[in-house]
Parts: sequence; structure tokens; C-alpha cells
Amino acid sequence: MVMETDVLIIGAGPAGLAAAYETASRGLDVTIVDESISKGGQLCQQTQILRTLPSPFLAMRGYELANTLINQLDEFSVRYLLGHRMIGTYKDGSIGITDETNVFPVNPKKIIVATGAAEKAVPFPKWTLPGVITVGAAQTLVNRDFVTPGKNAVIIGSSDFAMDVAIQLSDVGVNIIGIVESLPKILARDAEKTEHIMQRSIPLYLRSSIKEARGNGEVEEIDIQFPDRIMTEKVDLVCVDGGRTPILDAFYQLGCSFGFQEELGGWLPQYNEFLQTDCKDVFLAGNAAGISSQGALLITGRIPGVRVCEELNIISKQEAEHERASHWKELENLEAKLFPEKWEARLNHIKNYANPLLKDQFIS
Amino acid sequence: MDKTTIICRCEEINCEEIEEAIGHDARTFDDIKRLTRCGMGPCQAKICISLVADVIHEQTGSHLHEIPLPRMRMPISPIKLETLATNSTTFSSVKSVMDEVELEEGKVR
Ligand SMILES: Cc1cc2nc3c(=O)[nH]c(=O)nc-3n(C[C@H](O)[C@H](O)[C@H](O)COP(=O)(O)OP(=O)(O)OC[C@H]3O[C@@H](n4cnc5c(N)ncnc54)[C@H](O)[C@@H]3O)c2cc1C
Ligand code: FES
Repeated sequence: MVMETDVLIIGAGPAGLAAAYETASRGLDVTIVDESISKGGQLCQQTQILRTLPSPFLAMRGYELANTLINQLDEFSVRYLLGHRMIGTYKDGSIGITDETNVFPVNPKKIIVATGAAEKAVPFPKWTLPGVITVGAAQTLVNRDFVTPGKNAVIIGSSDFAMDVAIQLSDVGVNIIGIVESLPKILARDAEKTEHIMQRSIPLYLRSSIKEARGNGEVEEIDIQFPDRIMTEKVDLVCVDGGRTPILDAFYQLGCSFGFQEELGGWLPQYNEFLQTDCKDVFLAGNAAGISSQGALLITGRIPGVRVCEELNIISKQEAEHERASHWKELENLEAKLFPEKWEARLNHIKNYANPLLKDQFIS
Repeated sequence: MDKTTIICRCEEINCEEIEEAIGHDARTFDDIKRLTRCGMGPCQAKICISLVADVIHEQTGSHLHEIPLPRMRMPISPIKLETLATNSTTFSSVKSVMDEVELEEGKVR
């Protein structure tokens, strides 16, 4: 049995939910697949306040935004396939979805892929010891699962994300031994976060890196390398921030082309100003289209939503153009000010639409 | 990078083994995978993909955008064969896994 739908959205994170609102609120039949049993994606464990959100949203905490995005879909025709994964495509182009018992084809008119981002590992001797985890994993354990992952922690990296997690860990009583940054300055752009860290007397170690971890069956000790010395600390938790990169498997299966933008997380699907890949009916949204801030991600869900409605003749070309112009304006406001290098990379990426670095990867 | 550092945790391949493969002219993730099993573990390269690119970059000077993505095969994440085989006539039209199999009227020959 083939399931038919107007729009299939892969991923129920903020970007997927924003795309769902654009399409479902205009009357399209929308199906959202997520391998998790709950909606909201990686927003669910974010307790920090998100200040730069697009209208109509006011500043709120990550999980509150997740609930807002979920609730605003209540009155529309949205089919949720939670606990379902996209595992590949069929020869005829339909999407292979599994509920872990069966695999079945879904045949959508349009697909919006919003699979999000993965955290990158940071390698050093013995980084595979239990107790060495990513900052995102630490955040998930504390805020979603209510589990404290350790007593004495060191944080590797000083991005806004790493700072947030350091604060959240310290709030639940984890002793933060230090924040280790290899550069000569803190990476976090939000000065308030650095202030919070200072107030808690958490040491910030610049020009330093982790040399190695040691331990018997779990991490017990680490060596921090400074330009002139090595410091050894007893720890049971090391949280590393290696940055994030778009999750690409679904695009690869669908036959999309790829380009490279360091500032947006490295390899990412090639797309145009409609957030449309070079596979005509495949669109993308969110961190899968380049790592950016929460506010920007929501807009990258709206833009393909509008285009899908236009292509399916739900709204006129004129209305679509009007909507698109205002979304791009707002995206520029949110992205260009805070992360000018990301905005520039995005414009460059779109410019390269006709000349992807990798294409026709899926020769089958 | 310290030679003993693990690069592929699923298959326990360290930096030295990756460098050795590069010494044998491996230039892409898939080259290294064929020589070492790096990337062939349960996570299917989801963790080691960027670490391997960094080692190739360090050793050969290639820019990261010159190091192509590895081939990402079906299934996107591990799945029980029993589940994948749901309704086996449809299953035999699944791309990639069954591509090498000849089909005759929807049935495996
Ligand atoms: C653990 C973690 C913590 C994070 N914390 C922060 C933070 O504190 N601050 C910050 O700014 N950013 C954080 N991020 C970045 C995060 O990517 C963004 O905050 C934001 O959630 C991205 O939205 P999205 O909709 O693009 O993707 P996501 O929110 O990641 O949603 C993608 C969804 O797609 C689903 N999915 C993926 N592949 C498939 C498939 N094949 N089949 C079915 N479903 C699939 C996933 O289950 C997921 O629910 C974090 C990321 C991670 C991984
Ligand atoms: S880390 Fe290499 S396959 Fe998992």
C-alpha cells in the first residue's frame, strides 16, 4: 500500500514544524515523519532563552518555542508519523519509511527535508572513554532525561552553545572545572553568557587544548595543554563542542547535489532562493540547509513552505513573491547582523546553485 | 595528531592506520574505507566522517571542499533485515540494496 500526501516533511524539529505551518495552514495535506516519538527535534532540551526569533514570536525558552510550534498546527490537517524513520528511496522515487516493524512507501507531491544537524567529534588520545560526550548529549541528559552526567566536568570549546551547556550543567550542581578554548579569545557572541560564566567563577582557559584523557573503563583524569605547561585535572565528565554539520543521508538517497560552505557547517545540499534542491520536488529547511541561529532556522522552514504552496497552486505567484520577499528580508535581519559570515556564505551557496561541487553521486 | 588517537570508534581504527592508507594513495573517505574498514561500523561513518576528512586535509594539504563525501547507502540507519524485507516483492525494488539482483516480473530470479 502506498501512502499519498501533498507534502512529506522529514523531521519534526523547529524547521520542519515551521514548514508544516506554511503548508498545512493553507490547506495542503501534510505528513511529518520523525524517528523520535516526540515532536520538537533538538529544541526540546533547550532551556536557554532564545531572544532573536522572527515575528510573531517573542523571546522564549527553546522548549517553549517547540510547544508553540506544535500547538499552532493543532487545527490543521497534519498527519504525524512519530517513531518512524526514512531509511531510503524506492526505484520509483517514493520514500521508504519504517515504523520498525514494516517498511512502506510514501508518495508525496513535494518533500521538505529538515533532518537537522549532527555534532562533530573532537579527537584526542582516549576520547572514546565513557564520560567523554558532546555538549549536546550533556544538555539532552540534563534537560530531557533529568540525569546528571557527572560531578566534575570540563568543557572543551567556548561557543554560545558550549557556554549555555556549561551554565545548565552548573545549575544542576555539576562542578565545572574549566572551559578550555584553543583560540586566544572566547567564541561566544553573547557577552551575557560569558558574564554568567564569570559570575560563577568558572575558569576560562584560553590558548589551551585537551592533550589526553586517562582512566580505567571511564574517564578519570585529563591533561590540558597550555603554551608553557600541562595541567592535570581529575574529572568524570568531558563535554566537547566540535561544532555541527548538516545531516545529509536523506539528500544523498534522493540524488541531490552538494556544495561546501565552511561557515554553514561544511558539505550541504545545493539549493536556490526557494530552498529547493536540484531535484525538482525536494526542498530543505533548518540546520540541514546550513548551521545557523534558531530564528534564522524558522525562516528557512517558511521559505520552502511558500514555494511548495505556489507550485501546488494554493497561492498565486504574486502572493508567493510577496511572502518570499518578506521572509528573505527577515532572514537577512536575523542572520546578517548576528552572523554576517553565515549570511554571506548562504548567498554564495545560492549563487553556486548551477555549479555544485558534487553531483550524480547516487549512480545505481 | 597523536598517532594512537582513535578516528573510527566503531571499527577502532586509529590515526596511524588512516595515515598509512593515505600513504598508499588513498585520497577520499571511500578509498580509506576500502583499505581499513574505517566507516563500516554500526554508525556507518556518522561519527568518523569529519575526523577522516581532517586527517586527509592534514596529511595531503587538500582543502576540505576537495575531499568528497563518502557514499551514503541505504538504509540511512540500521534496520532489522526482517523489517526491511516487508512485503518482499516491493522490497526487491528498493534502491541500492537489491540493485545487484536481477528482477523478473517483480520477483528475484
Ligand atoms: C543534542 C543537540 C543539542 C542542541 N542544542 C542546541 C542549543 O542549545 N542551541 C542551539 O542554538 N542549537 C542547538 N542544537 C542545534 C539544533 O540543530 C538546532 O537547535 C535546531 O534544533 C535545529 O532545528 P532543525 O529543525 O533544523 O533540526 P532538529 O531540531 O535537529 O530536527 C530534526 C529532526 O529530524 C529527525 N530526523 C532526522 N533524520 C531523520 C530520518 N531519516 N527519519 C526520520 N526523522 C529524522 C530527527 O529525529 C529530529 O527530530 C543542538 C543540536 C543537538 C544535536
Ligand atoms: S565511527 Fe566510523 S563507522 Fe562509526
